[in-house]
Amino acid sequence: MRIWRPIVAAAALSLTLAGCGSTDTPETTPTSAGPWQFTDGSGEVVKADKTPTRIIAHAGEAAALMSFGIKPVGVYADESVKTDPNLKGLDLTGIEILGEEWGKIDVEKAASLRPDLIVGDYWPAEKAHSGLEEGVDEKSKKLKELAPVVGVSQGKSIVDLAEGYEALAKSLGAKVDAPEIAASKKKFEDAVTAFKAAVASKPNLTALAMSPADDKVYVANPEFAPELLDFQKWGLKVVNPDKPDPGFPYWENLSWENADKYQPDLILWDGRSYTDTANAEWGKKQPTWFAIKAAKADAVVSWPAYWLHTYGHFAAELDKLTTAIKAADENVGS
Amino acid sequence: MSSSTVRARRALALGPGLAALGVILALVAFGSITLGSRDIGLSDVLRALVGLDGDGSIEHTVTVDMRVPRTLLGILVGAALGVAGAVLQGVTRNPLADTGIMGVNSGAAAFVVLAITVLGVRGVGVYIWFAFAGAILATLLVYAIASLGREGATPVKLALAGAAVTAGMGSLTTGIVMTNVDALNELRFWQVGSLAGRYAPILTGVAPFLIVGLVASLACGRALNGLALGEDTARGLGQRVGLTRAAAFAVVAVLAGAATAACGPIVFVGLVVPHLARFICGPDYRWILPYSMLLSPIVLLLADIVGRVVARPGELQVGVVLGVLGAPVFIGIVRYGRLSEA
Repeated sequence: MRIWRPIVAAAALSLTLAGCGSTDTPETTPTSAGPWQFTDGSGEVVKADKTPTRIIAHAGEAAALMSFGIKPVGVYADESVKTDPNLKGLDLTGIEILGEEWGKIDVEKAASLRPDLIVGDYWPAEKAHSGLEEGVDEKSKKLKELAPVVGVSQGKSIVDLAEGYEALAKSLGAKVDAPEIAASKKKFEDAVTAFKAAVASKPNLTALAMSPADDKVYVANPEFAPELLDFQKWGLKVVNPDKPDPGFPYWENLSWENADKYQPDLILWDGRSYTDTANAEWGKKQPTWFAIKAAKADAVVSWPAYWLHTYGHFAAELDKLTTAIKAADENVGS
Repeated sequence: MSSSTVRARRALALGPGLAALGVILALVAFGSITLGSRDIGLSDVLRALVGLDGDGSIEHTVTVDMRVPRTLLGILVGAALGVAGAVLQGVTRNPLADTGIMGVNSGAAAFVVLAITVLGVRGVGVYIWFAFAGAILATLLVYAIASLGREGATPVKLALAGAAVTAGMGSLTTGIVMTNVDALNELRFWQVGSLAGRYAPILTGVAPFLIVGLVASLACGRALNGLALGEDTARGLGQRVGLTRAAAFAVVAVLAGAATAACGPIVFVGLVVPHLARFICGPDYRWILPYSMLLSPIVLLLADIVGRVVARPGELQVGVVLGVLGAPVFIGIVRYGRLSEA
């Protein structure tokens, strides 16, 4: 008796499913008007006859647009939408999830949404938008054939990024002066003021952005971390490591034997691996971790590494840092 | 000069040669304790070793808590990989066999990511046991698949089964890692062989297995000599071929499994050092095994020292150094040496 294989089912699966865009129209879609244009991070001016309304966006960029009331029809993320810090607490109902892994976007599903705009950060170093960089699945790159791609340039400041998406949202019809949006922006400005004041009261305080790992300790290079550049701009002395890895200049690598190469007063801990107990755990696990005086003194705080896009998120993270700076002893590392 | 006098002369020289290798290994081990990515003066190292500086200084910590366990682990793991490679080449009569083709590395990796994703295990100290179990199970699976059919586990069937299991485990690992960032981060630490970040608990965890495996391997020499004559001849000489093969595989699984669990997959030593040993000793496994056991840790520790000194203030994984330095050496052996038939 041979087992009958469900060939029909297999064949059906291999068929491309026709677009069944069952997306309910979001409540505050701005009325399409035109013509529309926006200057992309690459410098190119992208034009359309009418204002785009069906937007597919990368995770953080989607969060930025949503903070101004523009709801995309589809989102692609680099990790699970449950863990992506940008999407935490956001209501994603009615938004198609088109990918939850770097370099993999379900372009067929994206096409079925009939998008008229794709939004992803522009990375000047790679001359590509998020999701379309070198190294992603070739299939993912077809996303750019569905609609024009725009994004704000990732570079020297998170503030620039937030302002850029504010401008994009405005061009798409968002009322950026609405009271709740204005309040969120005001909150951010207050957070910056408080941060600056806290830093000013501790003129000798130095901070080091770190990410300990099992085989090495990594020290972040502010040159490639816009949020660290912002902190420096606002007066915090974030240490620039003197020997970034030439092949991957985001970090300087320290062997665990050299964990104490820098002696900051405050450790900014990579938020992707920070937990409340991390410092004690690493002290137990790595014989030299507590040779860093700040670690020994438990002067550690989470740093929002490489993901911020919105005023709201930045404000919340800044408040945490301000508290830590106020509590820090500026002579720990000396 | 007849061949018997050559043999006799050779045997005369091999014993002292082994002793000389022991001395060299001791010197390299001392080098591994005194040299590293941190610059510590010789007098500080010596004071730390004899416990005269008990002030909790970082020099003391680095020397005693980091370099000493690292060096001991390097010696044990190096010896284990060299011997496992030699035994495997002997039992499969395949001069290019190394523990990788037995599914050891892929099995260990698959179990590490399974432990991380399914059981939420964290920390090197815990997941080495999963790696160990995975390596052993993969080897058993390869052996079981190869044993199907009439002639039992022939070298060809072993190579095929090894390739199949490696591919299967590999896709399992990739599938999990693609959807789990944590697993990817843990695996990244573990995917290139390295002696960094392994301290006393890992050393004491795997040392018993490695020591037992090394001692047991030395008992395989005669049997491997018999197998080298071909299976029929070995049977004619009264050897129980199946039993020999199973015992040899058990030794390889324990040695390579524990070594890989502790340090990740380290290439090159298990493949090349046995050839070096054969080049010195000739075809007698009773010499090849102890020579491999001493030569491998010398090679591994030297590569590790290089990796720690050239990339200050960071360090290079020993697996990377071996890959870079090992490739030309291997090509040289193949081209100019006599890649002696195992």
